[in-house]
Amino acid sequence: MFTTLLKKELFVELRNKEVVLSMLAFGMSVLLIYSFSLSGDPKINHEMAPGLFWSMVVLSSTLGLHRLFGQEKDFDAFASLIAAPIDRSTLFLAKWVSGVIFLTITEFLIILPFFLFLGLSWPVSHFQGIGIVLLGNMGIVAVGVIISGLAMRAKMSAVLLPVLLFPLITPLLIASVKATTGWYHVIPFSHWQFWVLIMVTYVVIFGLAGYIFFDHITEE
Amino acid sequence: MSFLFQDRLTRSLLIITVILMALNLYTIFVITPMVPEQHWAQKIFYVHVPIAWTGFLSYFIVMVAGILFLVKKESRWDRVGLAAAEIGTLFVILVLITGPIWATPIWGRPWIWEPRLTTTLILFLIYVGYFMLRKFGGHPERVARYAAVLGILAFIDVPLIFYSVKFWAPQFQLHPQVEMVQQPTGIINPFFFSLSTFTFLFILMLRLRVRILNFQYQIKSNNV
Repeated sequence: MFTTLLKKELFVELRNKEVVLSMLAFGMSVLLIYSFSLSGDPKINHEMAPGLFWSMVVLSSTLGLHRLFGQEKDFDAFASLIAAPIDRSTLFLAKWVSGVIFLTITEFLIILPFFLFLGLSWPVSHFQGIGIVLLGNMGIVAVGVIISGLAMRAKMSAVLLPVLLFPLITPLLIASVKATTGWYHVIPFSHWQFWVLIMVTYVVIFGLAGYIFFDHITEE
Repeated sequence: MSFLFQDRLTRSLLIITVILMALNLYTIFVITPMVPEQHWAQKIFYVHVPIAWTGFLSYFIVMVAGILFLVKKESRWDRVGLAAAEIGTLFVILVLITGPIWATPIWGRPWIWEPRLTTTLILFLIYVGYFMLRKFGGHPERVARYAAVLGILAFIDVPLIFYSVKFWAPQFQLHPQVEMVQQPTGIINPFFFSLSTFTFLFILMLRLRVRILNFQYQIKSNNV
């Protein structure tokens, strides 16, 4: 059932590209603002790069997360979806995994302009960086799917999502920036392994929370 | 107002809290010793720490009420959660006001990204969203479920927020780290007395607020 639901999410996105395009367009706009509001000094940008990257990701992710339930909401299909004999926790997993895939694709598309516009040097290694970014994405999307589910049928869902999401992901954001700084500035892993641990803990806790509570969130 | 104090327990609780609070204020301003380095600023410690404790206790009760609501599906637990959230947020606002009042003369500036203060601020922001969700979430039954889930998520986030802020900026570990047991009895006894007083105040406020919410619920149910 999980595979079917995941295929549905990917197929819908492949057809209209709504989530990725909205995140990408917004991310590019944020990048443009960075380019003109920062000093333009590559040395300063190099120091600030991890923080800038994650703030860009968090800001643009809100648009994508808001659209995660967009199709179901627009076509009034959510009632039909939850009326189907589907385990709601599996629905959460499908939304989570698809959300992580969409966010990762967006980051993949935006990373080159990010380095180019801010005049950043290319990182020495890639493996650890990819791991950190994936962990960060998993944490953001896990909370994002829960909050998006909560806000979906609210009057001011577009406002509620960032208002609830940003404070909840603060520990993940701090840990992601610190871990990315450690990796990008080539600091020994032992100095920033604590932050990876915080990220893993966050992903496990909120992944489990979503798995457990999604049933209550989607109940009619 | 008289309907709030119909039962003997609430009346007794009110009388005890008023007496304790009067004694507490007298103890803080008259009996407790003046700490040489901090002078009058230190006196806020007898209020700031107990209201912070009460705020976090309230949010803990929001989480417990949320779990009980989701498990038992009884609306009274939603009302307990809402009452605790309101009182907790009131106390947390007071923490965010009294903290900078103390910090200004001691640290030389009102705000530092210190873990306890930052955790309190982030929790406050989560609860701003909590009340927005309550207001704009839609159908009351659905909102009750959402609020229960959010109350649980907010509390399980607390240790993560605390430790991430603590290690994010170790240079800001300026909050008094002294062990309470090392304090002289002239300070520790009034402190625990104040802590108990504010706990009594919290219990009274929670009881009264839940009663008001119960009445509102009954009126709405009768009108439907």
